[in-house]
Amino acid sequence: MSRSVSRRLVAVATAVGLVALSACGSGFEDSSDSGSAQADGQTGEVRVLVNVTTNLTKEFWREVVKPFEDAHPGVTVKIEPGTPSVKEALPRLLAAGDAPDVVETLNADKTLAPQMLDLSDQPWVKDTPLVDEAEVDGKTYSVGVGVQAQNLVFYNKDAFAKAGISKAPTTLDEFEAALGKVKDAGYLPLRTAGGGWATGTQFAELADATVFSRNPDWYADVLAKKTTPGQSYLPILERYKSWIDKGYLDKNALGLDEKTAPAHFFQGKSAMYVMGSWFVATADAGKPSFPVGVFAAPPATGDSASAPMGVSVAMPYMVTKNTGKKELAVELVKYLTTDKAAIQKQLRQDGNFRKGVADGLSPLGAEVQALLEAAPKQVPHPEGLGSVRLPAGFNTELNKQVQSLYTGKSPADVAAGIDSWTASH
Amino acid sequence: MTRNLLSVRTGPAAGAGPVRRPGRTFPSRRGIATRARLATASMVLPALALFVVMIVIPVGLSVYLSLTDWDGYSADPGFVGLGNYFRLFRVSEVLTAAVTTLIIAGAGTVLLNALGLGFAMLVHRKSRLNSTFRAVLFYPHVLSALVVGFLWSALLGTTGVVNTFVTEAGGEVLPFLSDPTWARTTLIGVIVWFGFGVNLVLYIAGLQTVPQDLVEAAQIDGASRWQTFRHLTLPSLAPVVTVNIVLSLVTLLKTYDIVVSLTGGGPAGSTQTAAYLILSDSFGNSALGFGSAQSVVLMVVTGLLALTVSRLRAGADEAVAK
Repeated sequence: MSRSVSRRLVAVATAVGLVALSACGSGFEDSSDSGSAQADGQTGEVRVLVNVTTNLTKEFWREVVKPFEDAHPGVTVKIEPGTPSVKEALPRLLAAGDAPDVVETLNADKTLAPQMLDLSDQPWVKDTPLVDEAEVDGKTYSVGVGVQAQNLVFYNKDAFAKAGISKAPTTLDEFEAALGKVKDAGYLPLRTAGGGWATGTQFAELADATVFSRNPDWYADVLAKKTTPGQSYLPILERYKSWIDKGYLDKNALGLDEKTAPAHFFQGKSAMYVMGSWFVATADAGKPSFPVGVFAAPPATGDSASAPMGVSVAMPYMVTKNTGKKELAVELVKYLTTDKAAIQKQLRQDGNFRKGVADGLSPLGAEVQALLEAAPKQVPHPEGLGSVRLPAGFNTELNKQVQSLYTGKSPADVAAGIDSWTASH
Repeated sequence: MTRNLLSVRTGPAAGAGPVRRPGRTFPSRRGIATRARLATASMVLPALALFVVMIVIPVGLSVYLSLTDWDGYSADPGFVGLGNYFRLFRVSEVLTAAVTTLIIAGAGTVLLNALGLGFAMLVHRKSRLNSTFRAVLFYPHVLSALVVGFLWSALLGTTGVVNTFVTEAGGEVLPFLSDPTWARTTLIGVIVWFGFGVNLVLYIAGLQTVPQDLVEAAQIDGASRWQTFRHLTLPSLAPVVTVNIVLSLVTLLKTYDIVVSLTGGGPAGSTQTAAYLILSDSFGNSALGFGSAQSVVLMVVTGLLALTVSRLRAGADEAVAK
């Protein structure tokens, strides 16, 4: 079958899918003036595909782009929510020939890069976070606003005081000892939950401190088959299993919805909650009755001060390759990722951070900023970034495998399961 | 008086005698037949076009995409032949999801029909109270499946309402959603709670067609309630039973929404269904070609099962028709 026929078939399939999906409701769509603008250089309409969440509301996105519109008369930024998510909406829109001009949320990888505009020639991209790590085959396709620190443990300061812990743990042995102490003080030491991501994400956020300390190039080595993720994780899986057996983790944790877990922590029933830096926004909004502290996940060898920090790009943007508004779209992405006010607004809204941007941080946010700036190295997490990226779906599989520690599998079997999946993808 | 299309076009009513108007000729037989064919086509074509656009093309393209390695983004999917189909048998989670789906479909079909028929027997007679009961029993199906999942998750989760009562009464947490066997059972229970209203409505409609004179005759002859049900009511409901079984089976083989909101496919993937895995592979793992292969297999299996049930039930259905 010829390429053009293939293209048409895919487009028709998507169009048919769209017809069917349109009956299911399309969520909201910004109603800004969309029909009058022309695609003539620096004026017209720019369509931005974004994720809309409880933090990142339609109103928030409108506020972010409003100054850009004001500074560019004749330009309208049309906010389009990815329904049900950007990841699911983008393939549909691309195949139907209805791609947006700018895509938020996704980082470029080898699959996405061919559909996106190469931004390497834009001088301003060099000042954006993790831009080198996000390169795909030496080219820049996605640029971010900030970073999300991943290897963080939030804790109940009252619980630590009651357990007689005066200093945050800096090694995995100290961490394990702290788990025992807070349990003796009447707390559930570590809160986790079931569902599609929380169990595995929390495990990786803890384990990667050890894995990255031992090998900062771990992702590259996994891809080069010099090591395997299962075998790398095995020592931590064994510890984790022992924590379940000792009651440091709730053996029925998988029956707790991941969205409910933070509330459980805020109620003061558990002493620690492993999560990324976006939890700062949740904790600030949750207003728990106890003071919340945070420390870097401790490694098994060395201490926290020497451990690299796992980070992900916060709010990455890409420009689609076939956009008819190339200049405008690039200008908008430049504004979103380099304008100080726009950066700050986006960082604070979703618990994101950027070196040198500390204005408006809450006390907990300031602690995270300090941990980020003190980290000797930042390693992209989870799944890697740019060209150095594990197969899509790795995190989902890790989540499932870690959950099976609760349902009776041994750490060795779990490690073998992770390796088997990785080898087959 | 009804007049068919031909009589309208040939002019005079029967018995009026031929009336030849100046300047007008009668159409030939061939012309009449052509017009009839055109009329038929004009009525059939819109439906046929819709069928082709909404069913034939998507299914055909699904089959085509299942033979490619399409990631959802590239415009030129690579042809991989039957590779995706062979891969289905190598990926253990596909087989696990298939088993889970069959368990849900089998147990769910039995329970949906048992509950639907049971409650229909209780509330099929016309009365104001029964109307209220019918509305209450049908109500769960009016809710969104996603909402139903979240609702039961809040009730049965580890820190949910039920477990709060249990633990405050001194008991151990019941692992409704944290143990694989419990989670599958809970999932089936919630699906049945959500769906049996449809079966109930169909059975009520069926029960109202059972000849009451036969029921009364059986009772006069001394038949017990069970004997009346077993030998009269149930056989009379045969076509409704067939429809209910096929509908339940087809619906349950596509179970997705409640899994997402109730268990998220967990714990440890134990409640992942075929439809859940298709969506997860297609979009989560950017493997739309592989997801399409799973869809095609699910479609074929669903069709075969529905056909098998219809064939198995054909004898019972025909007995009622006679």
